[in-house]
Amino acid sequence: MENWNLRPARDLGLAPLDRLRSLGREQGLVGLALNAGWRKAVRAYLTAFHRFRVTGRKNLPAEPPFILVANHASHLDALALAAALRGLPARRAHAMAAGELFFGGPTRSVLAAYAINALPVWRGRSRRTDLDTMRARLAEDALVYILFPEGTRSRTGEMAPFQPGIGMLVAGTDIPVVPCWLEGGRAAWPAEARAPRPGRSLHLTIGPPLHFPDARNDRTGWQSIASATEAAVYRLAPVGMQPQPAAPSSD
Amino acid sequence: MIPHPEGGAFAHPVTLGIIIATIAVLAVAGLAILWLSKSGRAKPEFRRELWLRWASWCVLLPVMLGPVLLGRAWTIGAVTILALLCYREYARATGLFRERLLSMVVVLGILAVNFAALDNWYGFFVALWPLMACLLAVATIPLDRPAGYIQRTALAILAFMLFGAGLGHLGYMANDPGYRPLLLLLLTAVALNDVAAFTCGKLIGGPKLLPATSPNKTISGALGAVVVTTTLVALVGAAIFRGTPLANPVWLVAMGALVSVAGQAGDLLLSSIKRDLGIKDMGTVLPGHGGVLDRFNSLLLVAPAIFHLVQYFLGFGIGQPARLITG
Repeated sequence: MENWNLRPARDLGLAPLDRLRSLGREQGLVGLALNAGWRKAVRAYLTAFHRFRVTGRKNLPAEPPFILVANHASHLDALALAAALRGLPARRAHAMAAGELFFGGPTRSVLAAYAINALPVWRGRSRRTDLDTMRARLAEDALVYILFPEGTRSRTGEMAPFQPGIGMLVAGTDIPVVPCWLEGGRAAWPAEARAPRPGRSLHLTIGPPLHFPDARNDRTGWQSIASATEAAVYRLAPVGMQPQPAAPSSD
Repeated sequence: MIPHPEGGAFAHPVTLGIIIATIAVLAVAGLAILWLSKSGRAKPEFRRELWLRWASWCVLLPVMLGPVLLGRAWTIGAVTILALLCYREYARATGLFRERLLSMVVVLGILAVNFAALDNWYGFFVALWPLMACLLAVATIPLDRPAGYIQRTALAILAFMLFGAGLGHLGYMANDPGYRPLLLLLLTAVALNDVAAFTCGKLIGGPKLLPATSPNKTISGALGAVVVTTTLVALVGAAIFRGTPLANPVWLVAMGALVSVAGQAGDLLLSSIKRDLGIKDMGTVLPGHGGVLDRFNSLLLVAPAIFHLVQYFLGFGIGQPARLITG
């Protein structure tokens, strides 16, 4: 028999706004219901106005934890990736979002936390402990992270090099990294536009998952994971997007 | 039925008296803190703490007493919201919130108890306690996840007992046309009970009550609170229950002692939960107090205890239309 294991919420005792911005934020019934409603609304919008299609859904792991990574061109990207998930992975999905933009004020924080279920990543001041928290939660709480390793939205449609942060989350673990390519994001909501442009189609391609159980949990290991993931995402891009011959996979 | 004069919310002199006394206490406390601040006798942090507590009370008291004055449905609605807020804090502190299904059943149980109160359906109201215990015991069996079954089921049944069945009695009292003075007395007496325990403990001192559970409580404080609260409840109770079998010194003193002892027991119950979890406060909603549960813990056990004492002698809502919604 196991001892009783009383585990208070990770965000217990935080003031309301700090709680919304906390990487330890855990949803309750209200958050779960709001997030589910938001996801359904987004899915309906994407289907109706952007003819949203998903190919390769069979590549998604059945159970969390896993990480979805994709090219980043618009604010619709994280919404589209979350809309592609179903069941438990959908409920456990957390999008990594720029703290300055999505957690700037109280209203935005409420929207980001309750609707999008986002976790903040702060430009330039994401500390090592933050990444350690995210790495620990991914495995312990069996979460799904949606993240864009380029670090920012592409202004040209070209994909920027992947940052090594993705490696810090999975190096030396069996947690799958699922590469995705979202086609049409830039046309549907360019970085310089204030609102999305209905009528532009969106197509998500999900590739086979990568695993990095043997990658070293240090800078070279993280970098090799970032490169391998970047290459896997490029392989899903339409012909002509690839700037270089596909890099060898590390798994 | 509790005797009640014809007229509006303030028809009963005890209702009016308690409201005026509350406002007076709040005003005097405000002036005292102001004097303390001006005279510079208190440290700035202590002054800030006092003002924070006082401001919290200024918001809390109208939110607590207002619904009682407004009417039956308002009172039951306020108790429902209070129960849900208390459950939320308890679930997040104990980790029960991660059990989505069970949490949902507890919430439905809390809503059902308060619906029974709103419907004035006593049969359903009392049946819900055993029925919910059975439902919570079987709810997670279909998940086929026996690991942690005893822990989650025990946590859920305790939660329903305290916040559903227990607090529900407070709302059910509103089915009696004469509920206002009794409810106002209970709400203010448990607050006074806490203040009396704190003050007597500070003035008299002496050995600790249960140092491992709650290091700041003293035996002198606990006994002092029993004396003060029993006296107040017995005196005000005599005015509320005049002309009924309860208006007898023995029962009035018993009632007062019950409010004080059950109030302190509720406080110690929450202290035990917090000590076991290793946390200080249940939440951060009320500045200066902590969480909603930190403020309302004393009511958890007082509500059912006093309800059944009064029910035994007088009954609640006798002669009132029953099953208002379900027919």
